Amino acid sequence: MPPRLGELEQLVLLALLRLNDRAYGVAVQREIAARAKRSLSFATIYTTLNRLEGKGLVSSRLGEATAERGGRRKTYYSLSSAGREAVKSSLRALRTMTAGLGAAWEAP
Amino acid sequence: MTAAPRPPERAVRLLTWALPAELRDAILGDLEESFADLTQSTPNVSHARRWYWREALIAAAIFAPRRRRASAERGDSLMSALATDLRYAARLLVRRPGFTTLAAVTLAIGIGATTAIFSAIQPILLEPLPYAHAERIVHLWEGTSFKDRDNVTFLTINDVRTQSHSFDWIATYKTWSATLSGTGEPEQIPGDRVTHDYFKILGVRPMLGRDFREEEDVENGPAVAIISNALWHRRFAADSSVVGRVVQINGYQYTIIGVLPDGYENVVDPTAQVFGLMQYALTDPWSCRTCHHLRAVALLKQGVSVREATADVNAISARLVRDYPKEYAKAGMLVIPLHEQVTSGVRPVLLAVMGAVALVLLIACANVMNLLLARGAQRRGEFAMRAALGASRTRVIRQLLTESVTLSLVGGALGVGVAIFGVQALIALSPAMLPRLGAIHVSASTFLFAFGLTTAVGFAFGLVPALHASRSDLHLAIKEGTRRTGGSSHRVRGMLVVSEVALALMLLVGTGLLLRSVHGLLAVQPGFDTAHLLTMQVSTIGPRYNGDSTTRNYFDRVLLAVRNTPGVEAAALTTQLPLSGDFDKYGVHIEAHPRANPEEDPSAHRYAVSPGYFKTMRIPLLRGRLLDEHDNATSPSVVLVNETFAKRAWPGEDPIGQRIRVGSATQGPWRTVVGIVGSVRQVSLDAEEPDAFYVTEAQWLFVDPAMSVVVRASGDAAGLASAVERAVWSVDKDQPITRVATMDALIQRSEADRRFALILFEAFAVVALVLAAAGIYGVLAGVVTERVREIGVRAALGASRRDIVELILRQGMGLTAIGLAAGLGLAFGSVRVISGMLYGVTGSDPVTYVGVTLVLAGVAAAACAVPAWRASRVDPAKTLRVE
Repeated sequence: MPPRLGELEQLVLLALLRLNDRAYGVAVQREIAARAKRSLSFATIYTTLNRLEGKGLVSSRLGEATAERGGRRKTYYSLSSAGREAVKSSLRALRTMTAGLGAAWEAP
Repeated sequence: MTAAPRPPERAVRLLTWALPAELRDAILGDLEESFADLTQSTPNVSHARRWYWREALIAAAIFAPRRRRASAERGDSLMSALATDLRYAARLLVRRPGFTTLAAVTLAIGIGATTAIFSAIQPILLEPLPYAHAERIVHLWEGTSFKDRDNVTFLTINDVRTQSHSFDWIATYKTWSATLSGTGEPEQIPGDRVTHDYFKILGVRPMLGRDFREEEDVENGPAVAIISNALWHRRFAADSSVVGRVVQINGYQYTIIGVLPDGYENVVDPTAQVFGLMQYALTDPWSCRTCHHLRAVALLKQGVSVREATADVNAISARLVRDYPKEYAKAGMLVIPLHEQVTSGVRPVLLAVMGAVALVLLIACANVMNLLLARGAQRRGEFAMRAALGASRTRVIRQLLTESVTLSLVGGALGVGVAIFGVQALIALSPAMLPRLGAIHVSASTFLFAFGLTTAVGFAFGLVPALHASRSDLHLAIKEGTRRTGGSSHRVRGMLVVSEVALALMLLVGTGLLLRSVHGLLAVQPGFDTAHLLTMQVSTIGPRYNGDSTTRNYFDRVLLAVRNTPGVEAAALTTQLPLSGDFDKYGVHIEAHPRANPEEDPSAHRYAVSPGYFKTMRIPLLRGRLLDEHDNATSPSVVLVNETFAKRAWPGEDPIGQRIRVGSATQGPWRTVVGIVGSVRQVSLDAEEPDAFYVTEAQWLFVDPAMSVVVRASGDAAGLASAVERAVWSVDKDQPITRVATMDALIQRSEADRRFALILFEAFAVVALVLAAAGIYGVLAGVVTERVREIGVRAALGASRRDIVELILRQGMGLTAIGLAAGLGLAFGSVRVISGMLYGVTGSDPVTYVGVTLVLAGVAAAACAVPAWRASRVDPAKTLRVE
């Protein structure tokens, strides 16, 4: 049974999924802002990423340092297979819960 | 192109501190990247900054608490153990404000007072004088011992200069009252007349202009002056064009040729602010071999010791006595190092004060040790528990040491405050004779001294309770509970109380003896009536008063004007004022008892007075008649002598009608003794009345340029001062008036050094009394707390309240008695430290010893009373129920 996810965790994991291998702080923040219209602070995003990493749902690797970042290196995050499973089961639960509620609830 | 805007610096710093290391780069980098995007997309930079700050604050709020937790979990390293100890110590100290305040204030007083005294003593006694070759600068005196030293004469020093090979330079100097006029109000400024090499010896060069030149130091040489930096600032507004300016000094034109550097301290004559040249010739009458009115200061040649120089000058002196047998009493010259010369007067006072403050520090330390020991005893249960829970013995000791060092650091910090205040008070209190006052300040080394002392004291008094508390079987302590303590702790605390009492008694004895000395001195009859007496010195300066008759006429008119001032009962003039520091002696040659060498004849204080002097001063006439207006320049020369002199000069004979000659043995008139007056203390209250003779001004050898006016007021003497000053100035508004003081003030001032020591001893004694009382109280209060069950049992078995009070009092007063006995012995053994300051009492004065013992015993009894009363209130039922 994969671990249950909170809403923030769902949002972040889905952002990672969408961004594929280009997911780092700024990209995640923008993706969520653009699609979900949710403006999250970096502190919130990283706390969530940290927690997900602690559960083994994401993994991180250090990226390149660029001038526009003041010479600081990016940290890239990606879903682990357990992370994928967790997202799937989370979405499945949602879908099961909305089934039969009518057209207004079925398809987002 | 302008540089891209940067994220707010302080927000970045906040983030750097708050973020965990593994996220720092990622988050800061992301923020910077977004910040750059924001500022590019919108010209509003402040919006981007606000955004950045919001991000930073959220991050800090989220990550900073985790950060603390992480560091706390890092384990029991030495530093974190120290931090824990410190935090625990601070918490304990705050939780017991009474104990903390008492201990910290005790330490602050002990350490602060010591630091203040040390600050004052360091520049005076310990530091070398601020000169390049301070150790080679010496004073030269004629005489055979420091006590009987005499001023030198110009001819003698000239012979030493030419014959000796011990000195690079020898300068002579004498004080000079320089009245500066021409720029602003006329003002009398203390100064010195010096020979040209004076400043070379003291190792200082003028900061502006130049030093004196040898070719200027001749009779009728140029009138040139060098001024002090302070005078240059005050009087000439630090104008650098002052060199070459012509000023009026004493009515003559002087050219200022130099200004001394800032910070230059003249310890030879600290008051002097203007310097002129001596310009003596060997043939001048005042250069004579018996004209002892000059001081001499010299620079030893490199490698010549004081002893060698002394032998050198004494050989010269012996030759002089052989060559001029009638002009020297006996051979002998003294070479006194400058430092010794400067400090000789105050050394006994300062050493005594230093001893007193050391006692205070010891008492303070004993007291704090006592407090900590008592608390260690109360906390035995706590330490036993800690040990049972696995704390090692060293860990417990370390914890206790941390507590005591924390306490002593707090005490030390407060003590520095006390020291700063103390130094101010010392400077305000200090007698005029205290040298190098300007150099006294709380110095860096003093701060270090205070700090080192605090830490050392902390370790010292921390260790004893720490050892105590951590020794012995801890499980036993847990079983016993926290109420009882072992006997050894009581013994140590008892010893501490005993030593506190003993030390306090030593201080009290010193204070008592000084107090009785000062009281005794102020009760001394100086030989005249000091009440309602106003004095001031009036001088004549300038070419206007060159002739004797103009000067004499001026003083006559001054006296008349003063006498006509309302509120003046009587007034007179004198060349020498008792107890003012005036010192004017002449050799007296007695016709009936001539000596082979007239230089061996006695000398006596000379007073040239106006005839009303004795009535004004209320000096009694014992035999014969007083001087009057008829004793003028044309009438036969007459003289009054005082009783002391009459007895010494004509033992078993009638002095009336005898004749004396003063000054020269071969020249001048023979003066007939017409009366004997009461003797007067001239030098100080504690010096016996010296020999003295009185003549009228009109019959003296020359006209003195300065006289003291003495005024007997019908009411308040001080209140009359300005009216009298106005009367003097009504005669000539350009003549300076100096040294305006009531006789009572002069007497207070003449006792200033003793008073200084007394005030400090009194302050220290009060502190010692309070501390000793606190110590006794603390120990007994502890005893009562610890023995409360025993007392309850006693009460239950039928002991009356009185019995219980007696029980506690006996314990407290027993300790006090041992302390008193020890203190009496110690005081008796060490009293010679202040013996030089005693007057009218001996070091073993029984009244003082008995008196202070009673005072201390009374205070101790009062300190015992509260715990004893508390013990008597112990409710036996309550205590036994607990059992």
